[in-house]
Amino acid sequence: MTKIFSNFNWNVQTLGDHAIQFYLPPIMDPRVIGEIKNFNDFIVAAAAKGIKDIIPSYHSLTLIYDIELMNTPLDLANDLIEKYKNQREINLPNKELNKIIDVPVCYDEIFGIDLISMSSKLNLSITEIIKIHTQNIYQVYCLGFMPGFAYMGDVNTKIQMARHPQPRQNVSAGSVGIAGAQTGIYPMHSPGGWQIIGRTPLKIFDKDPKVLSKFKMGDQIKFYSITRAEFETLNQNELK
Amino acid sequence: MSVQIVKQGIMDTLQDKGRYGFQHIGIPPCGYLDYLSAQLSNVIVGNPIDAPIFELHFPASSFIFKEDQTICISGANFVPVLKDKSVAMNTAIHVCKNDTLHFMQPLLGKTCYLAIKGNIDSSLWLNSKSDFIAQIKTNDQFNIIAWDADINKNNTLVDQKLESSIIDKVQKHIFNSNEIRFIPGPQWNDLSTESISNILKQPFYTSLNSNRMGYQLKGPSLQLMEEKTYLSSAVTRGTMQLLPNGELIVLMANHQTIGGYANIGQIILVDLPKLVQHKSDTLFHLNLTNVATAHSEYKQMQQWFS
Repeated sequence: MTKIFSNFNWNVQTLGDHAIQFYLPPIMDPRVIGEIKNFNDFIVAAAAKGIKDIIPSYHSLTLIYDIELMNTPLDLANDLIEKYKNQREINLPNKELNKIIDVPVCYDEIFGIDLISMSSKLNLSITEIIKIHTQNIYQVYCLGFMPGFAYMGDVNTKIQMARHPQPRQNVSAGSVGIAGAQTGIYPMHSPGGWQIIGRTPLKIFDKDPKVLSKFKMGDQIKFYSITRAEFETLNQNELK
Repeated sequence: MSVQIVKQGIMDTLQDKGRYGFQHIGIPPCGYLDYLSAQLSNVIVGNPIDAPIFELHFPASSFIFKEDQTICISGANFVPVLKDKSVAMNTAIHVCKNDTLHFMQPLLGKTCYLAIKGNIDSSLWLNSKSDFIAQIKTNDQFNIIAWDADINKNNTLVDQKLESSIIDKVQKHIFNSNEIRFIPGPQWNDLSTESISNILKQPFYTSLNSNRMGYQLKGPSLQLMEEKTYLSSAVTRGTMQLLPNGELIVLMANHQTIGGYANIGQIILVDLPKLVQHKSDTLFHLNLTNVATAHSEYKQMQQWFS
């Protein structure tokens, strides 16, 4: 068990009449995510009455509450910050934090439908784009957009590309995309504007309540390249 | 006991109080759009206040009842017709086997509720029966299960008990007001002075481009003091996001769980049903309020139903 001292300075604001938001300075940084994960776990464990949802994001943690069960939300918020600070030493579940989830991706152009145009715009060969995308270990900053969609970063500046100005009507489930410094996987068919570079055969979101999202905030992800044949085999296994 | 869909509408779903506890993995809460009308209908028919209910938009689905049942229609008035006879809203109605129910025209409001006494049998996913992607379809059949004795004891048919003055109060609150109140959000102060003044003085109306995810508002074009981007944070129902085109979108039940547009405010929960029911041909004003007022009115209205 690693112990660290938390020196982040949490602020809190109300968000309308049924939410409160804790926040840190708005920076996209894995250390901030580590801190948000700590505070998130602390609040989950505190299990305050009337909290319906606890939603982490890049630099904030938002609590949705039931008005009838919550008389003074800001008092509760300040109380939680105090107790968290007084805890001083935070128990880091380091096992989990250091775990890397390996994700197979087939970067065939049939799946990576934006690879050719990216290659010419970025002045890199497709092989180089794949090499760069599979080099980094990515951090899951948060989930949103649709069930199980994980925003991961940071993408090497050499292969960063803006979203398409007009989103596609239909992006296939499993598609792996890039949007600026972020990378992510579409868990299901949906409209989407990210630059698509490949597809994973893995099921990213499963309706089974025991499974649900493959990723959670704070996870570390490493992509590795697979062939079409390996994709088909793995995909068959996933569908079973 | 069961009910069948004779002909599906354009956007009709089964909804309850929604699905909470899963927004951290991106699952939208869903649930009733106009929760006050849904609760009213449930109470009138003698259901628990948060029972599943059919949520209808015009053109709405038609239904056939397979047994005698008690129903109630609340919210938007789509001129409900039972076996060729017009029926009253916000009243417990006895329907007989093979009676059909359909809706003629969108007279008032946008979202209508059909409550049926009993529990509508549908699969429970993550503690809720609220449809997220699915809609009710032609030939779908739903069993209606009687509440077990415990629940029934506390929820006998309360039509007589719920005073008509309360029904009037709910109706007036939702349909007779052109004032929708909000609490300023984290990026309120990033708005230009002129935009702040325009929000509070100019009228708005809802765009036809409004659905269970969000209602787009038409009104004065709004700007931030300076162009700015934000890191995404959680949003909630009622969040007013400023889109890059200068328009506001108010997030509704099926909203994404986090958003990166400027969050300029939150419509308070008691006023959300008003917005839900506002058609694009009526104007309303956005006014400021605070958490204490929002809480006290919310609690007061929930008292009406207990």
